[in-house]
Amino acid sequence: MGYEPLVKKNPLRVLNLAGNDKKMGLIMARAGLGKTALLVQIALDSILRGKRVVHISIGENLEKTKLWYDDMLEIILQECSVAKPHELIDMVQRHRMIMSFKESAFNRARLEERLNDLILQDIFKPDCVVIDGFDFTNMDHENLEDINSLMESLRLQTWFSATSHREDDRVSPSGVPAPCHELDDLFETVVLLKSEQEHVQLEIIRHNSDVCSDDSYHLILDPATMMVKKDD
Amino acid sequence: MNKDLDKVRNIGISAHIDSGKTTLTERILYYTQRIHAIHEVRGKDGVGATMDSMELEKERGITIQSAATYCSWKDIDVNIIDTPGHVDFTVEVERALRVLDGAVLILCSVGGVQSQSITVDRQMTRYNVPRIAFINKCDRTGANPERVVGQLRDKLNLNAVMIQLPIGLESELEGMVDLVTMKAIYFDGDQGDDIRYDEIPDNLKDDAEEKREELLDAVSMFSEELMEAMLEEEEIPVELIQAAIRKGTLDLELAPVMIGSAYKNKGVQPLLDAVEMYLPCPTDVENTALDLDNDEEENKVSNNPDDPLVALAFKLEDGRYGQLTYVRTYQGTLKKGETIYNTRTGKKVKVGRLVRMHSNEMEEIEEAGSGDIVGLFGVDCASGDTFCDSKINWSMSSMHVPAPVISLAITPIDNKAQDNMSKALNRFSKEDPTFKTFVDHETSETIISGMGELHLEVYIERMKREYKAEVEVGAPRVAYREAITQHADFNYTHKKQTGGSGQFGRVGGYMEPLEEEEYEFVDQIVGGVIPREYIPSCDKGFQASMEKGMLIGAPITGVRCLINDGSYHAVDSSDMAFQQAAKGAFKEGYKKAGPVIMEPIMKVAVEGPSEFQGAIMGSLNQRRGMIVGTSEEGSYTVVEADMPLSEMFGYSTTLRSLTQGKAEFTMEFSTYKQVPKSVSEELVKEYEESRKNG
Repeated sequence: MGYEPLVKKNPLRVLNLAGNDKKMGLIMARAGLGKTALLVQIALDSILRGKRVVHISIGENLEKTKLWYDDMLEIILQECSVAKPHELIDMVQRHRMIMSFKESAFNRARLEERLNDLILQDIFKPDCVVIDGFDFTNMDHENLEDINSLMESLRLQTWFSATSHREDDRVSPSGVPAPCHELDDLFETVVLLKSEQEHVQLEIIRHNSDVCSDDSYHLILDPATMMVKKDD
Repeated sequence: MNKDLDKVRNIGISAHIDSGKTTLTERILYYTQRIHAIHEVRGKDGVGATMDSMELEKERGITIQSAATYCSWKDIDVNIIDTPGHVDFTVEVERALRVLDGAVLILCSVGGVQSQSITVDRQMTRYNVPRIAFINKCDRTGANPERVVGQLRDKLNLNAVMIQLPIGLESELEGMVDLVTMKAIYFDGDQGDDIRYDEIPDNLKDDAEEKREELLDAVSMFSEELMEAMLEEEEIPVELIQAAIRKGTLDLELAPVMIGSAYKNKGVQPLLDAVEMYLPCPTDVENTALDLDNDEEENKVSNNPDDPLVALAFKLEDGRYGQLTYVRTYQGTLKKGETIYNTRTGKKVKVGRLVRMHSNEMEEIEEAGSGDIVGLFGVDCASGDTFCDSKINWSMSSMHVPAPVISLAITPIDNKAQDNMSKALNRFSKEDPTFKTFVDHETSETIISGMGELHLEVYIERMKREYKAEVEVGAPRVAYREAITQHADFNYTHKKQTGGSGQFGRVGGYMEPLEEEEYEFVDQIVGGVIPREYIPSCDKGFQASMEKGMLIGAPITGVRCLINDGSYHAVDSSDMAFQQAAKGAFKEGYKKAGPVIMEPIMKVAVEGPSEFQGAIMGSLNQRRGMIVGTSEEGSYTVVEADMPLSEMFGYSTTLRSLTQGKAEFTMEFSTYKQVPKSVSEELVKEYEESRKNG
């Protein structure tokens, strides 16, 4: 594609996480720390490598989701300019499909139906799906397994975001907070965003299904752009 | 007319087609005693609603032109601009919005926020128009005002808050609870003329209390006094709540929601009260004009009737007594018999007749103060012109006018039709800046162009009905363009020696693609290799070449032509010779500059039941569309896509049969994009064949 240099600052690229394996990943943080921004980064990273992404936005409208992409792309272009930015913008649009759902309108059956609509009619063949705003509070192990096998059967890499809450201190043995503390074995990768004084810290607490405790799995991000901070 | 501007409201009524806008306007006119009987849009009595003054509108049951009408409610004067609901007439909506101070957004309680409401609302946001929402048709089966409020929040991002609660719904709609005064309102009498205020029915009391709390929570942020009163749990004065709602509405941070059924005569009078209470008067809104004598510096208009006049012509109509021009005054006073000055043309005109419009009927007046909307007769001008008195030279900021994207060839059937057609075309293009007409010199056909199929269809109908001009209509054509994709040099010598004085000129330089702008000419000639007087000739030659591209004869856009070399002959060089040389140079460069064909891309939103989402996406995909995304809300879904206009002909029929008539779509011009190679080859082939044949 020739856009690879653009994504070198993507936090996940630095950690060499966004592999080609069709497994599920999870980003967790408290409200307002940048889960959506990071998901959009993951999506853009895939797109810039020529892959197609379905972005599922639950409880957020289409217009706002589009804005996220416009904003993140603008940041990337500021960091690293390209000769024909409109071609890049066009490319991103062609490799991205946004589906927004009202909370009550989203479920596994609907997800399967929509993805099949796209794939069987040859409208859009995604490689990766990011799901923002999924409600994990009412999700049990069996149901998530079911979604996992759906995504595996469609050969799709899937990233979720989940909100943790200050007042809920339940944690899995590997350090995954509620509401996902009993679901962590289903995720290949779990990333935690934490707020430090002037930056956001990205911690990988699970990778290739292994628990990570090493400091090399920590990164400092600029909260305004969710890019890796230059100084560090 | 009131001199006191606090008592003036210039409002628009805009909405989705079929949400009952015209019926509501009709009721307003009835209750304000402007008309004495109520007619329906598709009236059985053959009279039709008063605002739909054009025959065609009556027949189709849609409102095409935004007629302005005046009425008075209690002690306020209201000018109502009725705006069309179909997206092809967006310019009319936009022009109406330009002169409005506030608006009522009408929604159907069953259909809710549909894609057209989204387009209209986006335009209102663009022009900073404060609005109140009226959820109409609450008597219909399936009415669900709460769902519509949810959509106002989700889809339009409005801070929508109900200020009324329905008493009964569907066929049982009896009236409503006013959550500000906490009174029930009923509408007695055959036409709902007698308003009866009563206690809230027992079964609704709890619900009303709860909703009132929600209302107070939402509006308390606009008034500290109100917030304090709430904290101290005092009895809250009604005026305080009203003031807070007004402040929130004017700041565009709140959209009060009212409910009713215009058809069943319920809720119209309270809506008029709300127009008075919550929508702005002319002095609440800041409008600016550009000072043409001072480098287009922005000036705030004063609204002061004693200042020099500034008035905007926003709408033209051909009436029985000649051209009727709707104007809005922003400052100063427009007086009968005075001379005013058109700042675009520099012409002076005398104000002959000044009228206040009530749809088809009119009332002669002597003067119109600032903030007013009136009609002028016998003033020659175009829509969008500004009038001043001779003291100042201001222009109201230019209006956003999109370029036409579709065209049709029309041929009059006989000589009489020919005459009438040119009269009609002249009128339409003056009235509507998005409607263009010209004669194709090669085919001698008259071409009309506009914003969509329906837009042009309506004008063809109007030609037939109002001007008795029957025309044959060709197939619709998309307004393609040509553009270049890369830098290319040129160096061309034009030389002709045919006895007598010859022609000589050489032009050298390059062309390159230009984003944003249509054309730019750069002169870098040094040392007089092309004499100064022939530089404009080169510019002219290039511009002439841009009119017709070499691929399919479409206009070329986005080119920078730079000249930096050339030569001339003392005797044989001339204006004409350099124009020819530039044309030759352009042709030479164009071939090397990677020319491509560009086509209009439309932003399309298809809305229908969720079960058809797959089918809808499939149909868009087949038509070379790029699906941007979908939004699903319960049982229905909206698919947004960027579609080439050329693929959208006949889409409404396809969509109807795909979805059992349950889905609909709107379309709006978005941008021009390069056509894919296969399509481009097809177009070039077609063009070449048509040239061979004719």
